[in-house]
Amino acid sequence: MLLAPIFITAIVSSFLLSLLAMGFTLQYVTLSIPNLAYATIAFASTYISLTMFLMHLSPYVGTPLAFLLGGLISLLLYKFVAFLRDRGTSLVGLMMSTLVFDLTIYGLMNIYAGYIAYAFKSYTYAFSLAEMDFSIGDVPGIVVVSAVTSISLVLLFHLLLVKTKFGTAMRAVMENYALAGVHGVDTEKILSVAWFFVGGVAGISGSFYPMWFYMDPWVGARMFISIFAACVVGGLRSIYGSLLGGFLIGASEIFVTFAFAGIFGVWIWSYRSVTAMIIAAFAIVMMPDGLAGFLKRLQMR
Amino acid sequence: MALETLILDILSFFSIYTIMTISLNFEQGYTGLFNLGLYFPIIAGALIVGYLPGRLAMVFYNIDPTLDFSANNAVVLSLLKTRLQADPFFSVALLAITLAVVVVVCAILGYVTAHPALRLTEDYLALFMLSLAETLRVIGQQTDWMAGGVMGIGLIDLFWCIGPYAYYGRAALVIGSALAIFLIYQRLCASPLGRLLKSVRENWLTAECVGKDVSQVKKKVLAFSFAILGVGGALHAIDLGAVVAGDYTRVDFSFWPWLMMIVGGTGNNLGVLAGTFALVMMRRVMIVMKPFFTFLPFDVLWLEPILLAIMLALTLTFRPAGIVPERPLKIKNYMRRVLHIKLQTKEEPSKLLVGR
Repeated sequence: MLLAPIFITAIVSSFLLSLLAMGFTLQYVTLSIPNLAYATIAFASTYISLTMFLMHLSPYVGTPLAFLLGGLISLLLYKFVAFLRDRGTSLVGLMMSTLVFDLTIYGLMNIYAGYIAYAFKSYTYAFSLAEMDFSIGDVPGIVVVSAVTSISLVLLFHLLLVKTKFGTAMRAVMENYALAGVHGVDTEKILSVAWFFVGGVAGISGSFYPMWFYMDPWVGARMFISIFAACVVGGLRSIYGSLLGGFLIGASEIFVTFAFAGIFGVWIWSYRSVTAMIIAAFAIVMMPDGLAGFLKRLQMR
Repeated sequence: MALETLILDILSFFSIYTIMTISLNFEQGYTGLFNLGLYFPIIAGALIVGYLPGRLAMVFYNIDPTLDFSANNAVVLSLLKTRLQADPFFSVALLAITLAVVVVVCAILGYVTAHPALRLTEDYLALFMLSLAETLRVIGQQTDWMAGGVMGIGLIDLFWCIGPYAYYGRAALVIGSALAIFLIYQRLCASPLGRLLKSVRENWLTAECVGKDVSQVKKKVLAFSFAILGVGGALHAIDLGAVVAGDYTRVDFSFWPWLMMIVGGTGNNLGVLAGTFALVMMRRVMIVMKPFFTFLPFDVLWLEPILLAIMLALTLTFRPAGIVPERPLKIKNYMRRVLHIKLQTKEEPSKLLVGR
């Protein structure tokens, strides 16, 4: 079976973006603060994949390390935000505190890229590891890996949320942080674990991206547009909605741009991320509660 | 670098960042609009400067129409240089037209953007603005005909007519504009409008209850500050003599102004000025000191965002109100009137309001 590159791009982009959008929304719902460092944390792990490749290992070997890196940074960020929240810092202050991590990771990524370029005598500021990927027949490995990983992680998360005591406690914290604390839920522990898990998942997604896409230390800033668009389209506070939003944005970024490229020319391909933003702006005006709200209204009819 | 050049360089940078931080303070410090996409109008201003004056000059001087200002940038610039050197009046007119177009376009952008943006909560407004700015950066970077795309574009120097003093002319324009903009903002913030904005920031519902159209106020604030930020972007491009859309990053043109405002003190123009000066000095010192760190296996300038992060963390933790915290407004006439009535009636001012 020969999959056209356009379909591969759409599949990989949709699966990974939906994971990222779900993580972003989950962090937002738990603390009511959008994590501005989220995309940068996710894409910091692209350099783990690159390092593995430079050490003549499969980039996939770095996946557990990517999970740990994303999880640990995310946990540290949560602790810092929680510390400031307890001191009575305003919403603006708390959002700015996530920028502290965004900037630190951005600086460290560039320093690390410079260092490995020096150590391995290789250009590390723009790279893709697509040629290093395995394949199953004519299908690149990343298609299978991204699909299986995304579906497994979403199922695992769903089961965790619905079938375990931890999940019940987490849902309580998401509904009402203060009330959950009053009822004896260890809110700090729940949120710490949630942020670690979500950061880890973001790290995994980030480490898979270079297996198909071109990466550089600025990718976090660019991808932030798509993640934000996915969350808006999915519904600002809906975790499952953001999964749908991720799929929709991931696919439409590719297919809509591809369709326009057929009409106007190939030059339009470089405006891919603009498509996401146009869809998001349209969603804000026409459907402010996103796909989640739309589906809810359909159910109620 | 000669001392004179260094001082002018610092002053120019300080002026450009003052325009940005004072506008940000107007939006966030006074009105409570959480705009993280500060660089959206800045890029728009820079792109207009990259696109408009060169092409206008080409039409005015009948330069070969087969030449494109963007694609044949170096050739067109050399052709225009000889003409503009001998034509100071057209240079001034070109500057005025360009800045006027920047103001109008950016104000419209601000007003139009406000329509969907103000439907969002504070936090998502910030994200929307950030995404919008990043989108415009991508457009600027990918569109060659606008301002050179990835490679950027060289600009005509509107001060070519003053020969070797062109550098001083550009610096004077930037510094003078920043001073004028600062004074305009000071005047606005001390006026009844400033008090209205603070009331919207503190409690928009109360402001609406007393008959203020909060949505319109916010739209006008965004339109006005976008126009000024656009001028900031335009002046930055004029000062540099080039536009490279990709260089307008969120760190340099949004996060740094935010830090300057937070360090200085939100809601206080003088505090913001102090914060801007301190951080511009720090950044310039880092650039000057760069040659002493060549032994490191990476570019020392990447320590800049980390330093920014550390300063932000320290400020948020130990001095959240900034170096010069916001002070209560002193409203001279109002206080005089209230005190005068109080002295005449020996009544508490609050009791005087009963029955009105």
